[in-house]
Amino acid sequence: MKKSISTLLSVILMGSLAMSGCSKNTGSSTEKKVDANAPVKLSITWWGSQSRHDYTNKLLEMYTAKHPNISFQATPSGWSGYFDKLSAQAAGDTMPDIMQMDYSFISTYSKNDTLADLTPYVNDKTINLSDVDTNLVDTGKIDGKLTGLVLASTSLAITYSPEVFKKAGLAVPTSAWTWADFEKDMLQIKAKTGTYGQSKIDDISTFPYWVRQYGTNMYAADGTKLGYDNDKVYIDYVNMLKRLQDAKAMPNPDQWAQISAKGKEAEPVVTGTAGSTMDWANYAVIVSKSNPNLKLVTPPVNSTGTKALWNKPSMFFSVAKSSKNQIEAAKFINWFLNDPEANKVINAERGIPVSSKVRDSLKASLTQQQKDMFDYADISISNSTKAAPPEPAGVAEVTKALTDTINSFLYGKTSATESAADFRTKTNEILGRNK
Amino acid sequence: MSRKKKALNFGNQNIIGYILIAPWLIGFLIMYLIPMAISIYYSFTKYNLLSAPVFIGFDNFTRMFFHDKSFWKSLRVTFYYVFMLVPLRLIFAFIVAMLLNSKRKFLGVYRAVYYVPSIVGGSVAVSIVWKQIFGNDGVAMSLLSIIGIHQKISFIGNPSTAIWTIISLGVWQFGSAMLIFLAALKQVPKSIYEAAGIDGAGYFTQVFKITIPMLTPVIFFNLILQVINAFKAFTESYIITQGGPLDSTLFYVLNLYRKSFTYFEMGYSSAMAWILVLIIGIFTIILFKSQSAWVHYESKE
Amino acid sequence: MEANKKSKSFIFHLSTILLGLIMIYPLLWLVSSSFKNNSEIFVNSYSLIPKHWDIVKNYSSGWKGIGGVSFGTFMWNSVIVSVIGTVGGVLSSVLAAYAFARIKFFGSKFWFFCVMMTLMIPNQVMVVPQFIIFKKLGLINNLAALIIPWVFGSAFFIFLTVQFIRGLPIELDEAAEIDGCNKIQIFTKIIFPLVVPAVITSTIFSFYWIWQDFFQPLIFMSDPKHFTVSLALNLYLDPNSNNNYGGMLAMSVVSLIPVVIIFLIFQKQLVEGVATSGLKD
Repeated sequence: MKKSISTLLSVILMGSLAMSGCSKNTGSSTEKKVDANAPVKLSITWWGSQSRHDYTNKLLEMYTAKHPNISFQATPSGWSGYFDKLSAQAAGDTMPDIMQMDYSFISTYSKNDTLADLTPYVNDKTINLSDVDTNLVDTGKIDGKLTGLVLASTSLAITYSPEVFKKAGLAVPTSAWTWADFEKDMLQIKAKTGTYGQSKIDDISTFPYWVRQYGTNMYAADGTKLGYDNDKVYIDYVNMLKRLQDAKAMPNPDQWAQISAKGKEAEPVVTGTAGSTMDWANYAVIVSKSNPNLKLVTPPVNSTGTKALWNKPSMFFSVAKSSKNQIEAAKFINWFLNDPEANKVINAERGIPVSSKVRDSLKASLTQQQKDMFDYADISISNSTKAAPPEPAGVAEVTKALTDTINSFLYGKTSATESAADFRTKTNEILGRNK
Repeated sequence: MSRKKKALNFGNQNIIGYILIAPWLIGFLIMYLIPMAISIYYSFTKYNLLSAPVFIGFDNFTRMFFHDKSFWKSLRVTFYYVFMLVPLRLIFAFIVAMLLNSKRKFLGVYRAVYYVPSIVGGSVAVSIVWKQIFGNDGVAMSLLSIIGIHQKISFIGNPSTAIWTIISLGVWQFGSAMLIFLAALKQVPKSIYEAAGIDGAGYFTQVFKITIPMLTPVIFFNLILQVINAFKAFTESYIITQGGPLDSTLFYVLNLYRKSFTYFEMGYSSAMAWILVLIIGIFTIILFKSQSAWVHYESKE
Repeated sequence: MEANKKSKSFIFHLSTILLGLIMIYPLLWLVSSSFKNNSEIFVNSYSLIPKHWDIVKNYSSGWKGIGGVSFGTFMWNSVIVSVIGTVGGVLSSVLAAYAFARIKFFGSKFWFFCVMMTLMIPNQVMVVPQFIIFKKLGLINNLAALIIPWVFGSAFFIFLTVQFIRGLPIELDEAAEIDGCNKIQIFTKIIFPLVVPAVITSTIFSFYWIWQDFFQPLIFMSDPKHFTVSLALNLYLDPNSNNNYGGMLAMSVVSLIPVVIIFLIFQKQLVEGVATSGLKD
């Protein structure tokens, strides 16, 4: 027995000693002098729908055709679960060389030291940013390190179907429309056509916009608590959702789960069974093959008329700090950002390209949806104020708390006041861990 | 045997014994013992896998008991699941075993049909089927609307019924318990029933006074295994409901997984893991101690 | 009396058949839906006869897989993990079971107690440290990480086999010993051939437990090229990677085929194994 105990203890000791060195991964930097033409396999991941996967894969082939020594291993997926997977890969030291990154998550990954600082590659002109607006570039700078290269910009938009509005006897919405106008329109669409007024309201992107109408951001500047103090902000929002759902002008959460399971191209606004949807400005471009007639308008404003939109970096490319191919990754990103041929294929599906030269080169061949999107960019900028800082770490949990508390109210389990308070408590607890 | 041979044999037995259990022992060390020790250590730290763990004492536990509603919710959901599923499944298995405990034609076929669900039930494929059948636009809703009941929310989308879709999946797999009961039923000597019949005992009296008591050892065995396994349920809730709606199917292990691999709170989830071990341990002890009250062991032949 | 018996028989068969149909319906639904085209799966959901047959489309598009990885790769990964894990695991378990049941060695009671304890510990407790251990060994995303937890034997199979061996009369061992066999030979010549039923049962259980395991692949695998079938099916659920419901259901059917085939072939052994496993004190 004694023997077993001491064996046990030494095993535990050994184990803990071995594991105590669980520190951040020691990423290899670019010390290795690699032959420029040695074969390199770049692993790359991004989120999107099938159309994005298709053209991006084509792009990878194009690049390999130009640089035969570079090949790619692509592992794209949908948005849902994308960052769970990325986190798992970060934890397992198996992060892809190139990752599509989102503004909501870039803080988390930068602060965890899993992303490479790309400043050296900008300085030595491997990546050419001379045609990109500096403000936009800076959105990818966290704590002084450039960990994300912005690919495109976008902003929130209501994408609507003029046909459905016409069928309901409504004039098309304008930038001046208020939430009261919006509700009226949605209810009328339901009454006159029997279909949904709005495919969905995506709380996760809409609620930050809603909060900004009150002059503040959803998260406090230091990222340790909620940015708004008066729960009425939350209560007004969820009450509106309830009114729309009770009138069946919007699907309930269960119905929406079923709808969204069929993919973006099958959403009601695309198939003519809803008047509008709230999404990013490139939504119409994404679904243009299924429905080329959708139009964009800025989201409604509240009675104070506060401009609450913001010019959002739609997505970044980041490079894993552990990547052994950082130079080649940087070269690829540069090509992606600046090459006119590449951007013809991309066709602004990821948003408005950041390089002014690219925008100019595309102008001649834009489809109607793309023209609309480019025009919308100008309109939304004139309705925008300064963007919020990137979301703090813990945003995944806060998002879940938002959805849970809102659904709890919509299912009738809690009152609006209770849900608002619950959301505040939960969020502050989650963000409080960032202190 | 000479003393020398005995001694040699004894020493020999030790070596042979350890050689034979060596594979298991190695696995036990690297897959159980060391991880358990590390896990205990982590439960007292704040650790997100990307930077070094930070010792925080009992903070994880105070957070769990006093600040984390999801912990209590997942406990409630898991307990509800265990207390609904296990009795239902055992009762069902018992009744069907009683039904099949006779010489009929096609018995083997029926037995196979009832047992197949147990084999495939744990798979992702079957969970996907359940999600389709009970979801929006699924079989359940269509069948109900034929009878004239129009539901706004599917069984899976409704916080009150979602857990029952998962429980139904568990009950569907009663086959393995049924087989065990069948075998046990065959072992009850017919003579006892005959004697009781002569004494005037009716069918149900016989069942309750003879059959069930005779089966209690087997019931006990099934109970322990099924309770332990029910506490570990994960795949169904992950695939069918993702813990929703409104956390109504947030099984404890799903919550643990989420805290570990979605929110990267490895320290906290380690603490949660040990609480689960404690709970399972307590239940097992309670069940074992209760044996004397209700389990009839026939004296060994 | 005759009529009574006949009607009892009728009621019996009727109720068992009805119950059987209800039990088998989900599986029938799965197979028939895998033959339907995508929209019919929802519109005509409960009918078991497809209006439009799309077998080839569903199965071939499903087989193409996700993200450039064919379903064949997924199946192959599952095969490797299940076969190696089963062979190694059952072997390790049987060896250990023989030792516990027949060999008096120092500490055997203690180690057997440990075996029983592992039955109670959910492996979710260990999954975080296991993840870190595998990461240090560079085995994340490597099929070895899925095989190792099984290949050293499992408490359930050890227990099953121990009970089985205990049921064999000790006189067999003693006779062999008198004949001059040592412990190892007793095992290979006498005991092992007699525990074949337990071995078969363990093998079958082990195979389909590993085949259907979802949790471990979920944690340890991040590259779709190394996904097993259970993890791959989960990919099919993501509407932005795939909204090919027909394909998903078709591949679900394919994933269940090996399990069902093995069940059909070894039904008798399985049933006996399950039944006797419960009959110990």
